[in-house]
Amino acid sequence: MRRASIFFMTALCLLLITGCWNRRELNDLALVVAMSIDKSDDQYMVTLQVVDAGEVSSKIGTSGRTPVITYSEKGKHVFEAIRKMTTGTPRKLYFSHLQMLVISEDIAKEGISKSLEFLSRDHEVRKDFFVVIAKEEQAKSILENITSLEKIPAQKMKTSLETSQKVWAPTVAIQIDQLIADLTSEGSNAVLTGIIITGNPTTGTTLKNVTKTSSYSNLKFQGVAVFKKDKLVGWLNEEESKGYNYIKDNVKSTVAHIECPGGGDLVMEVLRSKTKVKGKVVNGEPSIDIHLSAEINIAEVECPIDLSKIENIIELEQSINEKAISVLEASIRKAKELGSDIFGFGEVIHRADPQAWRTWKTDWNKHFAETAVTIHSDFKIRRTGIVSNSFLDKVKE
Amino acid sequence: MNTFWRKKLSMKYNQSEPKPQVQPPALNDPLTGILEQDLLKIKETFKKSNDVLFSEFNLGINEAVRAAIIYTDGLADTTIIQNSILDSLMHETSQMEGGLEGLPTEFLYRWIKKRSLTVGAMTELTDFDSLYTSVLSGNTVILFDRFVHAISVNTPGWDERGVSEPESQTVVRGPRDGFCETLRTNTALVRRRIKNAKLFCEPKQIGRLTKTDLAVMYIQGVANDKVIQEVHERLDRIDIDGILESGNIEELIQDETYTPFPTVYNTERPDVVAAALLEGRVAIMIDGTPFVLLVPALFIQSLQSAEDYYQRSDVSSLIRILRYLCFLIALLGPSIYIALTTFHQEMLPTPLLISLAAQREGVPFPAFVEALVMEVTFEILREAGIRMPRAVGQAVSIVGALVIGQASVEAGIVSAAMVIVVSITAIASFVIPAFNMAISVRMLRFVMMALAASFGLYGITLGLLALLLHLNSLRSFGIPYMAPLSPYIADDQKDSILRFPLKKLLTRPRLISPKNRTREESSSASKPKSNQ
Repeated sequence: MRRASIFFMTALCLLLITGCWNRRELNDLALVVAMSIDKSDDQYMVTLQVVDAGEVSSKIGTSGRTPVITYSEKGKHVFEAIRKMTTGTPRKLYFSHLQMLVISEDIAKEGISKSLEFLSRDHEVRKDFFVVIAKEEQAKSILENITSLEKIPAQKMKTSLETSQKVWAPTVAIQIDQLIADLTSEGSNAVLTGIIITGNPTTGTTLKNVTKTSSYSNLKFQGVAVFKKDKLVGWLNEEESKGYNYIKDNVKSTVAHIECPGGGDLVMEVLRSKTKVKGKVVNGEPSIDIHLSAEINIAEVECPIDLSKIENIIELEQSINEKAISVLEASIRKAKELGSDIFGFGEVIHRADPQAWRTWKTDWNKHFAETAVTIHSDFKIRRTGIVSNSFLDKVKE
Repeated sequence: MNTFWRKKLSMKYNQSEPKPQVQPPALNDPLTGILEQDLLKIKETFKKSNDVLFSEFNLGINEAVRAAIIYTDGLADTTIIQNSILDSLMHETSQMEGGLEGLPTEFLYRWIKKRSLTVGAMTELTDFDSLYTSVLSGNTVILFDRFVHAISVNTPGWDERGVSEPESQTVVRGPRDGFCETLRTNTALVRRRIKNAKLFCEPKQIGRLTKTDLAVMYIQGVANDKVIQEVHERLDRIDIDGILESGNIEELIQDETYTPFPTVYNTERPDVVAAALLEGRVAIMIDGTPFVLLVPALFIQSLQSAEDYYQRSDVSSLIRILRYLCFLIALLGPSIYIALTTFHQEMLPTPLLISLAAQREGVPFPAFVEALVMEVTFEILREAGIRMPRAVGQAVSIVGALVIGQASVEAGIVSAAMVIVVSITAIASFVIPAFNMAISVRMLRFVMMALAASFGLYGITLGLLALLLHLNSLRSFGIPYMAPLSPYIADDQKDSILRFPLKKLLTRPRLISPKNRTREESSSASKPKSNQ
């Protein structure tokens, strides 16, 4: 009996002193799926996108309400603003399902680290949401846009970012943990994709936006923001962004085109791209070797070329490789102009020669601008599609 | 009242010889041998019962020997009494030259027993007590004047249900005969499957008033001697006025009284009993019930079905894995749902969480109350389904479909997801082949739900740990309950979670049959000959 009671007491202690007591019913929670941070005077303006679950779920009964609601609040600090929001929110805000963080360009120019501190510290927030920069827009208005097809805008942003990185390449899907790692790393700098609103943003905030086949406004990813430390210093255009992704080996598949020898374009699909970046120190100077290899499928032929001849294929491969090298070089040139090593070359050098790295690491970005980069490209044409030569030249004039 | 069986009976392998149990002295007055007196006494005993019949007659040409038969109407077969007892006695004795006079009683008695009675089973009775028992068991007792012995003839003639398909453990493929309520029929069903002289069938009688017949069956040399001895000891220790069903015996002989898990296995199927005997288990059959007890019973037994051995081994292995999964669902289904939706919303994928949240919009109760209400409702329905007269069965299923179904969702009392969880849990609990195990799991489900509602997955983990500790501390007739999973016995894994092909199952379970482990010498005999 005594043993039993001791056991019971011990069990009770084990249960009760763990601090695991945060029961909340599902219908007491407001699911936050996206968050944006804007600058307003000298305060932060935090906007949250909350799901109206009843409106989103598959049950019929759309009552004409919007699938998401946004709450905005100003505060000196992010967390203060969020807590201040409870004065307006009907339920407890629940951050575990946060999927997108949109940061305005103003904040990015001033430095983003302070606004990220809360998100990296809070236990409820998971570290797997994507961070993007609102380009030429208030971040708040990005969150207020209602999207078609995907009812929850945050979900829409997340999936389109993921897919476009996979099959198009000029966007980078950066999650907060990686962003923080990039910000704190000495041998590399952070980049983030930009997001813009096309069309009419004010109509985009109403349900009217999804009543037309081509929405009044839409959210699109555009450009890559380059950071130096935690400050935005410039943007990469589409080509440069693609180059960046090639170097970082983020490309799963993309589309590229080259000019044929006889004029006209030839479009191709790039598959299984693989990039190896090696660093070494030559005569006390850092140098980087990039080996790029990929497979090419010819997708569109808009020029007279005989693909059944092997020498033509070889010639094509050569020009493809030249094109690829020029894309990568453009991207590196831009980064050097901005004076920000976004490719993580510093880390490569660090791994290759830790001794030498120690002398450069304090002002690496300056050394980066002088680093010699050699690019070897090895693209192979694998398939030419199901027709050998294009029917275009057979079309009757 | 004796409460010795409340004590934890545990068996140790290195125990010395146990003390023999003292039998209480029975009330046995010997028969006097004077027919008048004896009959008078017997009639006095049965004077208030009109189903015990007496008939007196005389034997011999000159009616020299007076005799009487006593039997119970409805239990004894009157045709046998007529043809094999009365007719043959009268006939034989009337054929005897010179009549029966003057013959020494000893000779007469022997002659009657050997020559004139044309029935098979006869026993001699010398006292009243056994005479009464014999009469009330359906035998016919013959008394002769001047003989101190009465002859009891086996004349069973009561109506029985007969061998029919068992209701509790049905199979698609396999024998369809089930035990019935008559002990003799049941032992015969097992005998038909194992034609071996080593299959012992030891009789016992338990119950001061009911005098219920038992049979302890085992295969000598295959079963564990210590278990046999322990079974006998525990049965002999029972001192109770009545046994009506094997459940009574089960409760009185199990090792541990305070556990939800069954440590004695019961079955209605003769093939299951035969298979268990071949593995070295001991069967206890009780007259008056089709349910036969098997010991020692292990945890894995309740998740195995007879059909596993009749289907192909790969099929039955998969189905066994499915059953283990169903065991977990039946135990943890609602509790995991509660834990995930009230404590660990971050573990659910966003789209799923949103649709769950949408369903819960407008549900007034916390998830735990919701689950509890649904589960209790289901239990009520199940119980009602068992207790109802068959004619009303339709009504229950219709009402049940309304109560745990669309109607309750539309009424906004429960969420649709909860209905699905409860339904799948209910179905999963019916998958468990052993009914008593299924009930235990259902009971523990509520404990798990309470833990999940208080502490989330952490509580479920604690509950499972406690359950594991408890299961590992259980024993069934000295055999660890979780064998062969813990203690881990590598050889016996072939027939625990998976079922290997019969060619691979060369050994018997090690703990159950320690002495005689080999089932098959080698498996080459059954292979087809290659063409030379």
